[in-house]
Order: sequence, then structure tokens, then C-alpha cells
Amino acid sequence: MKLSLNWLKKYTDINIPVSELCSRMTMAGFEVEGVESMAEGVKNVVVGRIEKLEKHPNADRLQICSVNVGDRIVQIVTGADNVFTGALVPAALDNSVLPGGREIKSGKLRGVASDGMLCSGEELMLTEADYPGAGVYGILILKDDCVPGTDIMTALGRDDCIIDFSITPNRPDCNSVLGMAREIAAVLGTEFRLPPIKYASVSQNINGQVQACVENPVLCPRYMLMGVRGVKIEPSPKWMQECLIAAGLRPINNIVDITNFVMLETGHPMHAFDARDIGGGRIVVRNAQDGEKLVTLDGREHELSCEMLVIADADRPVALAGIMGGENSEIKEDTTQIVFECAKFKRDSIRKTARKLGIRTDSSSIFEKGVDAGGVEYAMKRAVSLVYETAAGEILDGAIDIAAHDAVLERSIKVNTADVNRLLGITVPDEAMAEIMCRLGIETVLNEGVLTCSVPSWREDIETSADVAEEIIRIYGYDHIQSRPLKAELVIGEKQRSLRNADRVRNYMAETGGSEICTYSFISHKAEDMLLLPEDDERRQGIVLLNPLGEDYSVLRTQLFHSMLTVLSTNFNRGAERADLFEVSVLHRSKEQPIASQPEETMHLCIGQYGVGDFFTLKSKVQGVIELYNAKARYAPSQEPFLHPYRQASVTVNGKKVAVLGQIHPAVCKNYSLDTQVYAAQINIEALLASGEKTVKFTPLPKYPAVQRDLAVVVDESVPVGEITDCIAKAGGSLLKSVELFDVYRSEQLGSDKKSTAFSLQFRSDERTLTVDEVAKVFDKIVRSLEYKLGAKLR
Amino acid sequence: MLNKLGDIKSNAQHEIQEADGLSVLESIRVKYLGKKGSLTEILRSMGSCPPQERPALGMQVNKVRALLEEQLTRKQEELSAKMLELRLKSERIDVTVPVEAPHVGSLHPITAVRNELISVFMSMGFDVAEGPEVETDYYNFEALNIPQDHPSRDMQDSFYITENLLLRTQTSAMQIRTMEKQKPPIRIICPGRVFRADEVDATHSPVFHQLEGLVVDKGITMCDLKGTLDAFAKKIYGSDTKTKLRPSFFPFTEPSVEVDVTCSECGGKGCRMCKDTGWVEILGAGMVNPKVLSGCGIDPNVYSGFAFGLGIDRIAVTRYKISDMRLLFENDLRFLEQFKSAL
Repeated sequence: MKLSLNWLKKYTDINIPVSELCSRMTMAGFEVEGVESMAEGVKNVVVGRIEKLEKHPNADRLQICSVNVGDRIVQIVTGADNVFTGALVPAALDNSVLPGGREIKSGKLRGVASDGMLCSGEELMLTEADYPGAGVYGILILKDDCVPGTDIMTALGRDDCIIDFSITPNRPDCNSVLGMAREIAAVLGTEFRLPPIKYASVSQNINGQVQACVENPVLCPRYMLMGVRGVKIEPSPKWMQECLIAAGLRPINNIVDITNFVMLETGHPMHAFDARDIGGGRIVVRNAQDGEKLVTLDGREHELSCEMLVIADADRPVALAGIMGGENSEIKEDTTQIVFECAKFKRDSIRKTARKLGIRTDSSSIFEKGVDAGGVEYAMKRAVSLVYETAAGEILDGAIDIAAHDAVLERSIKVNTADVNRLLGITVPDEAMAEIMCRLGIETVLNEGVLTCSVPSWREDIETSADVAEEIIRIYGYDHIQSRPLKAELVIGEKQRSLRNADRVRNYMAETGGSEICTYSFISHKAEDMLLLPEDDERRQGIVLLNPLGEDYSVLRTQLFHSMLTVLSTNFNRGAERADLFEVSVLHRSKEQPIASQPEETMHLCIGQYGVGDFFTLKSKVQGVIELYNAKARYAPSQEPFLHPYRQASVTVNGKKVAVLGQIHPAVCKNYSLDTQVYAAQINIEALLASGEKTVKFTPLPKYPAVQRDLAVVVDESVPVGEITDCIAKAGGSLLKSVELFDVYRSEQLGSDKKSTAFSLQFRSDERTLTVDEVAKVFDKIVRSLEYKLGAKLR
Repeated sequence: MLNKLGDIKSNAQHEIQEADGLSVLESIRVKYLGKKGSLTEILRSMGSCPPQERPALGMQVNKVRALLEEQLTRKQEELSAKMLELRLKSERIDVTVPVEAPHVGSLHPITAVRNELISVFMSMGFDVAEGPEVETDYYNFEALNIPQDHPSRDMQDSFYITENLLLRTQTSAMQIRTMEKQKPPIRIICPGRVFRADEVDATHSPVFHQLEGLVVDKGITMCDLKGTLDAFAKKIYGSDTKTKLRPSFFPFTEPSVEVDVTCSECGGKGCRMCKDTGWVEILGAGMVNPKVLSGCGIDPNVYSGFAFGLGIDRIAVTRYKISDMRLLFENDLRFLEQFKSAL
């Protein structure tokens, strides 16, 4: 909220530097986001009166001026020819700084001393609109009421500064000059002066001019009208125009300016209708009909729908309630009778309508933040007082005021001062509490440790002792809060198991060479096509956002490959020779279609590599992760559409699929502009965690020695090593403790479709030392099983 | 015989002395002490000696054998040592040749900062838990005292999935889930990913990370809040760091504050980073709103608490002086690998 300091000063005394005001208001809860000062940096430029003019002895076009600058007469040489004796002009003295930073010093012009410079409007960075005569070529001639010696920015009315206060959403009352002035007065301990209501009305009653009814009191809890006749449309007074300009509004005419002035001053948006245009002399606050049309003041035509609130006359809408008036009833040059409207409209209704129609006005944004129904009457009367004060018209007697029974909330609450101190942890004296509340405009009586607060309607936010505590401490000062170490019984912090799990995986991956990446949780639907997922693939059923930032961020991930490939591509195309990346993140899966409840969120690890090795390099990483859980994994060829059909595997642990890994299909690589061999895996680390034991159980070390035997068999090329291992393990029974492949050998002698595989087997019993015969028997069984099941031949 | 023994002894000793290799030494052993060696020969030929001389001669031969054996062993050790020396010498390498280290990875800076924050709070006895990223309207807004038409819903435009489901806009939702499950005393932090409909630029990201803290117990006051966050700030930003509470507004805390710390860049003197104020805002906090407590079945007349929420990404950005938040999500290896030492 940008507020003019000069305007604020009308309602309370501010006699401290702007910087101090800013820091004190920030510490009271109104953070200052910026200060714009028109006079910033301008120095030693004052009003001067030309007392005497002489010709320059050495130059025809120059004149020597004797200038009265208040406390003395100085001599200034000028080249302008519009100066005259008695003229009031801006004089930049020795060592002065002009707006924009230009410095002026004493000097000599053609041999004659000049103690400064007379300024043109342009040199003061003014235009004709800022000050009459500023656009003239020559020295700016100031108005007659200027006093020599006055600071030029003050004389020009440009000494104001604009302070941008950040208003928190709980304080909509402070989106106004009066609201902030009240806060400033409370903080500085100065008097707050509410402008008095003062007007006289004529005998004609408003009821003879217009009738009104509110059809939807939910969306319009309070609606007030007052009438003015004998209006003469003309420019508003200068002081009002200056206030509006300072607030960034363009003065229009006296009536419109009054509505805008009151809006800024009180925080109540107002509207003025031309009474001639109110058909049937009837105003109805009602919902629009679907398809009804209204041309607003900005000339745009809107098609309305039934949830929108309009102000209508007997036949048609004349305004979009709280947002913008209609062109059909606007104030015109020849308007003589007007109806002022001041109301409270429900904030989310205004918000929805404004969004839907794409209109945002000062009025709509104030209503969206919330206005005080209790303040409607004051704002209305302030408006007619201004009409009266500026003789803009005659005020009709009476007012139409339609209010829902609960529109104005004035409450009285009782708060124990002990409760306030209990929350703050310090002792604020009871009397100080009561005084602070009163300063804030909340009438408060203290009686034996109990504060009885009459909460005004504009402070809806104050309900409990915590709310009162906040009011007190922000004025009393947060620097009173001591720093105290947290007292409690000794507690030991514990990390959730799932978090420990993810952290362990992250650390393992990073310590074995991976770089962690972090990507958005939402991706594009295009990912599904880029990964060649078939139409019926479940991963096409990602959860869709209703209001994404764009299609690229519209669906929650059902897999981590897309993000990984995107990052790999970025790095590849920026020239990175190798990449070994990983990401740990959740995948979302809806439990039902369409989604109706919170989805499953499962923590996954994704690994992506290029330039670091082959399929088995990746597999070794995957295996490493699996071994963190002491899990037994089975690898089997799989059929992911985005992986190389003959270089991919699924991994199961206890029969549950936990991972998939492989080389990325060249066609997919092409979709990601990856002109290299890429390997990637995705592992469900939550499933892995669930597969393992929660607590470690110790198994005693073996007491009896193990027997080692090597076994080499020739099999068909098509038989996977995994099957041979499984077959050996099954036949080996409980005595076989481990099977390890140590060689795969191919040769012409074996035949082109054959391979020899060699394993190292370890046998051991937990009960006795195995005899040679026992081992031989099991070994034999293994060999026979291999021959029978896989057609293997012992080498 | 004795003369012969004397010759053998002196010859053998000489040869052992002169031997320059283990094989030479071995042949000396065979020559004198082997089955057909000259010393063995003498023993064998003892039969031709008069019987009364035999014991003395036998003793002499054994003495020479023991002597030679000892000298052979000593020479062997000496030669072995010499040879080892030679071998080692031949194995000399140039240790200054540069090598390539095993590839070390890195944790993402957001993870690194998150880990650090977690360990600070865990050391103060806080539990750590995570919550769901897809939240219901109730947990994300309503239970946090943000009713349907409340203006603070304007502060954060949210990503909706259905009318009732959305990507959480704050980790504060976990306050409610915690208090529903657990009775005081509560001391917990909840790190996590949050989402807001902000367009991407140098200082905004629609995806970012927060850490929420919640303490509920009997007799918790604003002084406890300040003490806890003071200790935290000193640990993260250095022991000279001062903290300042500044009034603010959050619907779920009352009173609400922003916490500023003295600028770590200039130490509070004022610089570009702190916009010449000497202070930098690090987090929002406040006393848990009594309405929120009673909504979770905790009696606000008995218990009180404080909550705080800080931006992990923002700390990462200031900590590592990262100029553009987009770098965090772009994942350029040249960026990521700079955080190796943050493990």
C-alpha cells in the first residue's frame, strides 16, 4: 500500500525523520517495502525574487539579476529573456543539487560573478502538467504566493514522499490512509484525528429519488445510498487532486474524485451513479442472469453469469458490484443528480467475478481483501461532507441503508493479563497493556488483571488472548522478548525410518561416485510418448494438475526416467564427457480413477549414466543398493518399451518387483537428443526397505570348515547364467552355501552356439565337518540336475 | 686325515667367503656337505683309521660341519638381503607421476543444507518426520486456520488436483498431522518439498523445500521460540549471529513473527546482500494459534507451543552464494560437482 506522507500527516503528527518512521512501523508489523521521495537529493534550490535586472557589460544576451533568496540578495547571471523585476523564480545557489543530481556552483560568466543559476522547468524535471509554466522555454516563473527563501520542492508541492507499506492479510483496515494513520499514531503515541462529518441536507428525501432492495444479502451484507442534487461537474479542488496524484490516480472531476478520495482515505470503495440513468428509480442488488450483458466504464462489454453480483435498475445492470460501474450510468459533463453508493460485498464473490471477467480495479482489490461493514456509514457521510465542503451539490435528506443483521460485528472480549504474559514469557505491566490497546483504537478497561476490550468492527482479527498478546507485544516491542533455552525433560531426537532409508541411499550413491540431482515433481504428458509408453501403460495415468504453470509442468511423475534423461541430455549437449547421476524422489500413484483421495507416494531411486561403463557397471550399482538391505535379488530379462529389448532386466526381491534397469533404447535416446549409450535404473527403495528385517539379528559364525569345489559346464549360448546358478543352488540344497561365477569361455572347439561357464561352489555344514564323500554326492547331484534341466555337459 | 680336514675347512671357508650368489652357495654346500661332499667322504673313509683315533676325528669333522653350516647360513642371509635390495632397487617407481582418483559423487546442495539443518535440530532433541506431498484442503488450509475465503489463500496460489486435493503449499500441514497423532510434549521438524504457482525466475521456483518445526508443551513461551531459533542461527550462521523478531502474520500462529539474523556477509554493518539494513530475514515463526491447538484436540489452556518454517533452498542459495535459483534444478554437472565436499 503506497501512501503519501503529507496525506498521513493530515490525521496525525509525524515529527520524526522518514527513515525512523519506516523502521518503527516495520517493527510494529508494517514492513516498509520502499520509499520514494520526489525531493530526494535536491539541495540548496530556493524560491528567489528578482529585485533588479541589469544588462551584462560584455554580452548582449545575458542579464545580471539581483535575487532576493530570503535572508540575502545574491547576484545571478541568466541567459533567459522571460525574467522581469518582481518575478518569483527557482534559484539554485552555490553548491546546490538539482533533481536528477546536477550540481551547481558559483562561477563567472563573461567576467561577471554568478552565485548560482536560475532554473527552467525542464532543469527541475517538471512538465507543464506538474506545474503551470514548466513547459515554457525560459526560466520557470513561480506563482505569486511563493515566499523567497522557501525550499523549491516545498514551493512546488513536491516535498512529499510515498511510503510503500506491506499490509498483512489480517489487517485489511490498513489499506487506507486513515487506517495507517491510526497505526502510526498508536506507534508514535501521537493523537489520531478522524476528519469530522459536517454537512447540511435539503428537505428533499432520497426516497423520492431512488428506491433500493438487496436480493442477495449473503453477497452484499451492507448496502448504502445517499443522493445529491444540483451537481455541477467541474474539476475538484487542488488539494484533493494532489492527494490523488500522489496516490497514482488521475483526477477526473469533482464527483469521481470524491469517490476515489474517500476510497483511499477510508478504505471504502464508492461509486456514483447518474440518477437520470437509473431506470424506474429503482436499484436492485441481485445476481446477474446467465448471458446478461454489461458495458463497463472502460468500454468493454462483458457477458455475465448467474454467480456474479450486479447493481441493476428496474431493467438492466448498471454496475458490476464492487468492481466497476456501467457505462450506461456513468457521471457525465451534464450530470446534475447523483446517487452515491457505499457497500460491503463478499470478498470471494468479488474475487471470482473479477478473475473470471479479467478485470482488476482498485475497488475490486480492496473488496477482495475485505472491508469493514461498520465503516460504510462513516465513508458515505465523509463523501457527502466533501460534497458540502466543496459546494459540489446539495445533499438530499436521509439515506438508504440495508444491512444484514450480522453485518456489523462489535464484540467485547475479556482477556487475563496473566494469559498474555504466559504466552509472551515476559511480564508486561497490566497498565501498559490497557494503554496500548486504547492507543490502537480498541477501548479497553483494566480491572484486577482482566482486560475488557471493546473490539471495533474493523478489527475482526481480534478474538482470543493470543490476538491481544500480539497487539501488545508488537507495540510494546519485540526486543523485550528474552532468549531462553528450551526447557524440557531430556529428549532424544529420532529420525523416521523412511527418512533414514532415503538418506542412506543418497549417501551410498554419492560416495560411490554419483552426483545427486533435484528435479521438478511435475512433468509434461509428452514424456509418455518420448519414452514410447504404449497407450494402455499404467504410467500414462499420472495425476494431472488442474492449474499447472503450463503443459510442461502438468502431470505428477509416475517414473523418474524422463527427468533423468532430460538432465543427462542437458549435460551431454553441454559437452560433459561422462555423467553418473542419481535422484531420490517420490512417485505418485492414484489409488482410484479418477483420483478422489490422497495418492500413494513411494520413494524411488533413479540412476542414470553415460560414459562410465556398460550395462554391468549399472547393474553393479543396482546390486550395491540391494545389498544395503541384505536382500536377495533375482534378475530376469524384461520388456520395458524405453529400454534396449535385449539389454534390460527387472529385479525382484521375495517375488516383488523392486527395480528395472537397462540400456536406454536408441530411439528413446534420440527423443532426448542423447547421441550416446545411456544406462538407467529405477529402484523402489521403500519396497526394498519393507523386504528387509527391521532389526538386525546376529547369526553365530560357522564352526566347521568349508569345502571349495570348482565346476565348469558347457551349455547352449541361450541359457542365462542366472538359470544355471538357480539350478545349482536348488540341487545343492542346504549344504551349498554359495555359488559364484568366475569365468565364461567361448571357443571354436566348443561350437558357435555354446559357452562354458565356470563356478566356484562352497559347501559347509553347520553341524559337522563335511567328508569328501558327502561333498562328492551333492556335487554329483548338481551335475546331474544341470544335465537334465539345462542339457549342460561337464567339461 | 686331519690335514685333509684342515684343507677342506680352509678351502670351504674361502669359497663361502667368495660366493656371490645363492646358487654358488648351494653348490658349495653340495660340494662339501652333500651326500657325496668331501666332508661326508672323510666320515666315510674313517673306517681306514685306527679305531682309537676315530672318536677324535669324528668330533673334528662334526665341528667343521657345524662351522661350515653356520657360515653357509650366514652367507645365505647376507646374500638374500643383498638380492632383495637389488630387486627393490630395480622396482623403483616415479611417485610423482600424477594419478586419477576414484570418482567421488556429490549430494545436491539442497540435500546438503537439509542434512545440516536436520542434524542441528536433532541435537536439540527434535524428531524428524516427513509428510505427504499431495495434501487435502483440510490439512493444508483449513486446520491451519485458513478458511475457504480467507485472504491468506491469496498469498499462495496453489496447484490443485481436485477441489479437495492439492500439492502442499507449506510443510505446516505436518503440524496438524503430528498433533493429531501425538500428544505433548512434541518437538519435531518436518523437512519436505512444497509447491506454489510461481513462475520460474532467478528467485522463484514452483518447487522448493521447507523445514517446519513444532514444539508443544506446558509453559512454552515466545522466549523459548527466541532461544531455540537463536541457538539454531548461531550454529548455522556463526556464533556471533544475533536474531531479531519482527511482527508478521500467519493464520496458524498468533503472535506471528519474522526472524531476522545479522547479515553473515557484513556482520550487521550493512551491505548489498542485506540491502544496507544489516539484517537478513531467514524464517517465519510464531506461537501456535490456540484455535489450531484445540482443533487438534490439545487444550490451549494447558499447553502452548511455537512453530517455525524456513526455506531450505533459500539457505542453500545464500550459503553458497548461488546467483540464480534455476541453477538448483538445472543439474549441470559443473554445478553439482562443486558440492562434493558438502557430503
